[in-house]
Amino acid sequence: MSVLQTMRVVARKELLDGIRDRRSVLSALLFPLFGPVLIAVMFSIILAEEADDGPIALPVVGPGNAVALIEHLESQGIEVVPAPEDPRAAVASGDENVVLEIHEDFEAEFRAGRPAPVSMYIDSSRREGRVPVRRVRKAVETYSAKVGTLRLLARGIDPQLARPIAVGDIDTATPQQKAANLLAMVPMFVMLAVFVGGMFMATDATAGERERKSLEPLLLTPTSRAALVLGKWAATTVFSTTGLCITLVGSSVAMGQIPLEEVGLDVDLGPGDMTWVLALLLPLAPMAAALQMLVASFAKSFREAQTYLSLLTMLPTLPGVFLTLEPLPPEGGASCVPVLGQQVLLLGVLRGDAIPLLPAVGSTAVVALLTIGCLWATSRLLGSEKTIFGE
Amino acid sequence: MIEAEDLRKTFGEVIAVDAVSLSAPDGQITGILGPNGAGKTTTMRMISTLVRPDRGRVRVDGHDAATEPSAVRRRLGVLPDARGLYPRLTARENVEYFGRLQGLDEATLRARVDRLIERLELAEVADRRVHGFSQGERAKVAIARALVHEPQNVLLDEPTNGLDVMSTRAMREVIRGLRDEGKAVVFCSHVMQEVSALCDTIIVVARGTVVAEGTPDALRAQAGTTSLEDAFVSIIGTEEGLVA
Repeated sequence: MSVLQTMRVVARKELLDGIRDRRSVLSALLFPLFGPVLIAVMFSIILAEEADDGPIALPVVGPGNAVALIEHLESQGIEVVPAPEDPRAAVASGDENVVLEIHEDFEAEFRAGRPAPVSMYIDSSRREGRVPVRRVRKAVETYSAKVGTLRLLARGIDPQLARPIAVGDIDTATPQQKAANLLAMVPMFVMLAVFVGGMFMATDATAGERERKSLEPLLLTPTSRAALVLGKWAATTVFSTTGLCITLVGSSVAMGQIPLEEVGLDVDLGPGDMTWVLALLLPLAPMAAALQMLVASFAKSFREAQTYLSLLTMLPTLPGVFLTLEPLPPEGGASCVPVLGQQVLLLGVLRGDAIPLLPAVGSTAVVALLTIGCLWATSRLLGSEKTIFGE
Repeated sequence: MIEAEDLRKTFGEVIAVDAVSLSAPDGQITGILGPNGAGKTTTMRMISTLVRPDRGRVRVDGHDAATEPSAVRRRLGVLPDARGLYPRLTARENVEYFGRLQGLDEATLRARVDRLIERLELAEVADRRVHGFSQGERAKVAIARALVHEPQNVLLDEPTNGLDVMSTRAMREVIRGLRDEGKAVVFCSHVMQEVSALCDTIIVVARGTVVAEGTPDALRAQAGTTSLEDAFVSIIGTEEGLVA
């Protein structure tokens, strides 16, 4: 029987076996949805925060001490309400995001031309308080600047003298590039889905055969070890590819639902870009399958293999975390590191940059070599006496 | 026809098998009897090509196990020590998988599997998933798997291990049937009754080597005893590890 025929028989059986295994199916079909759902939730939270410019209520202690300031705040859409008994406790417990305290001596200091004391109770560890705190601080600061300007004018001094330097930002980031920073996590979820999608399959096809003692009869058939491994690998690849595609499709659906333009972000992936994304990512599915099979072949039991593979699954998420903190240029050696390279290149695609051809081909070649190496090692390992009979 | 010459296998310091030779002709049942740990399973594994002997050679129908392992495997049906089946596949699917790996075409495969299911009285459970099968049912599926390619030579490792009386009887019938079809049957066991009830030739192994060989009658004569049991004890030198 030819290698191809054996491969087909083995792959068919492994797929049938895998489809009947709830864990395999869940990890390939359900887990990949985790990323897109998380993306949708995170973006909606960010959008809700950024878009928040409605009136806010601000508890103020001693509003009578600075009537003009209160008027200014109200003109900025900040509604002044009575302060709670204990402002510190109210902010610490999260009842209030921010409380403004105007001190007793505000009036006296203000009149004397000295900095008039005002305190803001805030909790900097709380995320949801960030926007109101920023708005209140800004309102107070504009008032302060306005009064300062008027004071200088009243004394016949040009207020410009107090501004020796004028800084202006020129932001070269296109909206698409800004979005890319937020999208950096998409490749990470894709990697995760690739590894989780084939995990149970890879385990069942290797350590599982050892544990249920079906490896010995399997190797007693007149088939080549390589053909058996290739068949199992093909079946595992189907599962990891399924995971990959579900995450990709899910992510684009999730992002389609989010009005990113509203915050000045632009995610515009044309068919050309999507082809690149697929071309870069697809080779990872067979690689993950081969790598997982090799690692699981060292394990004697299903559980042992699961432990190894869980650790292995952490690996592809590391570059994602790293890249969000410290982006790398695709021209460097980084693109030749499997998984990291794909993520670097993908980020480029998402930013709308041109694809550097050489690193793209190089990274795919490295992945292909690694795949072949893992398959070769697995078939060597699977046929060894130690693996078949090792207790 | 299975021929093994001067087999030796060591695992580290332990000599598992040393200078074991045997010849199992067609149309005969050859039994390997020995206490636990005598090297029976290792010998079987060397014949089935999964363990490479340190010395000696194995030939199956004239094909050398070291140089033509695929040809040997095609001519061997093995019921290994491990009966591992795929729990999520049905009995029929388990057997069919191995038939396909042996290269059978679909029409032949279907006919063979149907015949084996009938012969082994598996019809009732054939299309149920193996998960939850009894020991006896598992053993039957495993033997069907070993025979699906109609091998000329059959190796059975403790074929009745863990089976109840009815299943044991059924298994013995199958083994006799294989001999009557003219196949070379080798089976190993540590159960004396099993061996004496079935075998045409008995090879007694202990501590990795062959200590006696012959028909049951010849063995009795050699040991100068009237019962086969006494003969074994006298040949092996101890009662340890043998089950009467």
